[in-house]
Amino acid sequence: MLDLAIKNLLENRVRTILTALGIIIAITAIVSLGSISTGLNELVTSSTATIGSDVIFVMKEFDFSEMSGPPGSFEIELLSAEEIEDITAISGVERAVPIIADQFGGLFELDGLDLDSVDLFGAEDLSFEEGGWPDNEDKAAAIGYLVARSRGVVVGDYLTFEEEEVEVMGIFEEGSGSYDLVVLIPYEYAEEIYDMEGEAMQLILKPDDISYVQEIKDIINNDMDGLSAMTMEDALAQMEEMTGTLNIMTFGIGFVASLVAAIGIIITMYTSVLERRRQLGIMKAVGALKKTILKQILEEGIILSVVSSVIAILLSFFFVDILNNVLLGGSNLALITPELAIGAVAYGVILTIISSIYPAWIAINTDPIKAIRDG
Amino acid sequence: MKGNIFELKNVWKTYCNKGVETHALRGLNLTIKRGAYVAIIGPSGSGKSTLMHVMGCLDTPTKGTVLVDGKDISSLKDDELAKIRREKIGFVFQAYNLIPGLSAIENVAMPMRFSGHGKKESQEKAISLLKKVGLENRMHHKPSELSGGEQQRVAIARSLLNDPEVILADEPTGNLDSKTGREIMDLIEDLHKRTKKTVIIVTHDTKLADRTCNQIRMIDGDIAK
Ligand SMILES: Nc1ncnc2c1ncn2[C@@H]1O[C@H](COP(=O)(O)OP(=O)(O)O)[C@@H](O)[C@H]1O
Ligand SMILES: [Mg+2]
Repeated sequence: MLDLAIKNLLENRVRTILTALGIIIAITAIVSLGSISTGLNELVTSSTATIGSDVIFVMKEFDFSEMSGPPGSFEIELLSAEEIEDITAISGVERAVPIIADQFGGLFELDGLDLDSVDLFGAEDLSFEEGGWPDNEDKAAAIGYLVARSRGVVVGDYLTFEEEEVEVMGIFEEGSGSYDLVVLIPYEYAEEIYDMEGEAMQLILKPDDISYVQEIKDIINNDMDGLSAMTMEDALAQMEEMTGTLNIMTFGIGFVASLVAAIGIIITMYTSVLERRRQLGIMKAVGALKKTILKQILEEGIILSVVSSVIAILLSFFFVDILNNVLLGGSNLALITPELAIGAVAYGVILTIISSIYPAWIAINTDPIKAIRDG
Repeated sequence: MKGNIFELKNVWKTYCNKGVETHALRGLNLTIKRGAYVAIIGPSGSGKSTLMHVMGCLDTPTKGTVLVDGKDISSLKDDELAKIRREKIGFVFQAYNLIPGLSAIENVAMPMRFSGHGKKESQEKAISLLKKVGLENRMHHKPSELSGGEQQRVAIARSLLNDPEVILADEPTGNLDSKTGREIMDLIEDLHKRTKKTVIIVTHDTKLADRTCNQIRMIDGDIAK
């Protein structure tokens, strides 16, 4: 009797559309926010494993509240050659590794750095499925498995950055964690490609001893203007705080949106049942069982919620695209996974079914005699 | 098939409203033979509709026993009553009681959809019944687009859908002008003659009632002796 359910929904279009709108807004909010949480959680887990705990990250200072994207994806000011020199000169700094980073293809990142210092990032033990590390003098790259597959290149082929053809000299083995997604080239070569002279987006410091970490960090943060230093721990804490806040926000907004949608569904279904009291009474008079009436009410709810949820998912893809491109600087951070999409539709349907319980109960207990006498 | 389709013994129906008790039926006894054609007459408020509802399994008596086709319905649950209504009873009401949003065909086909029959099968049956009541040209219209007489024909077609043993018609001509009313009564009488179904009609029209051999007069919730 799906046709009857659809007929009933179409009978009062305005009401149906308003209810659908409530469900659509709730599910869209949940999916869009959920996609950011999913993306961020993924980022945090993937970036923590590889980097050593005694390193210090130095960047130009920036206001977190003005930050418009995750680390790496937004325009940051460059560290100048002089600043890099000053920082390197701080006593207790064993090595300072400047990095020139560029995101490409959404997921991937090119890093220009001293290839003799990859031990700071736990990359020295990576194995290659083909080729090996380029030297710092080479104009070549070691690239991740996923980069190679997505670009369809093998050792000896070229990748293009800023109109410069970069030769692939080595491809890491599959399953190298975040190294599946990177292109590593010598710092000097990156300088040349990106037209820089001694600048960097980030400086990674290795102290002589782990006990100097705090001291070096304090010197940079307190005594050097416009610079910000973070330990690995700080970076992790920051990211976790961000994901934590976002998770709570997602949950909170999702909860409120669900509540509003649920109240909308209850009111619509309830008025619709009251309005159709006579119709339901007639149905019962000519032999409809309680479960027949229940089935019809639930069918209406399920059609309404499935259609609304699917529309919401499509809308979410659109919003997430905007989110990624406008707010998150062209990254692919916000991620609608199949699990998230299916879960959201299921949630929409369950929410609707729960909200339909009371109206359905009123419907199945309609007194046929009253309906007929009042007719 | 022989025997009684309805046997009512000492049937009471009492309504309680804000502490006020109304006895709509007062210890009524009645037996109706299978295949009978019966007219129920009586003043307004004498309990005719209540009696129809009890016989039609829309309601259960407060006291007494009601046998429908030999089965005691006085203590059945809602769904069990609904099943009997679906299988054995066809209703025709004064106010037609069609569903506004559905076409004539869909209205007639609806009870069959409840018992799990497909749309196509139900509608084919509905169409053949609508032809029998002379509505082949108005089948796709909604109730609001049909005259009172036409709506009542749709209701009669609907009452026949599940091939019930009994047709219960509660003042089927009450909302119609006398000419249309006579046509509807002719239709019901013709139906009775052709199908030999039990037909019980509540009517105010004594002339019509006189045409049937079985007349029951109700007064104050009981049958006048
Ligand atoms: N739900 C109800 N609550 C209270 N009294 C009712 C109810 N239904 C019917 N009655 C009363 O029962 C009596 C019989 O009503 P009814 O069977 O409709 O009579 P009729 O059909 O002969 O006009 C009337 O007095 C009516 O007011
Ligand atoms: Mg009456």
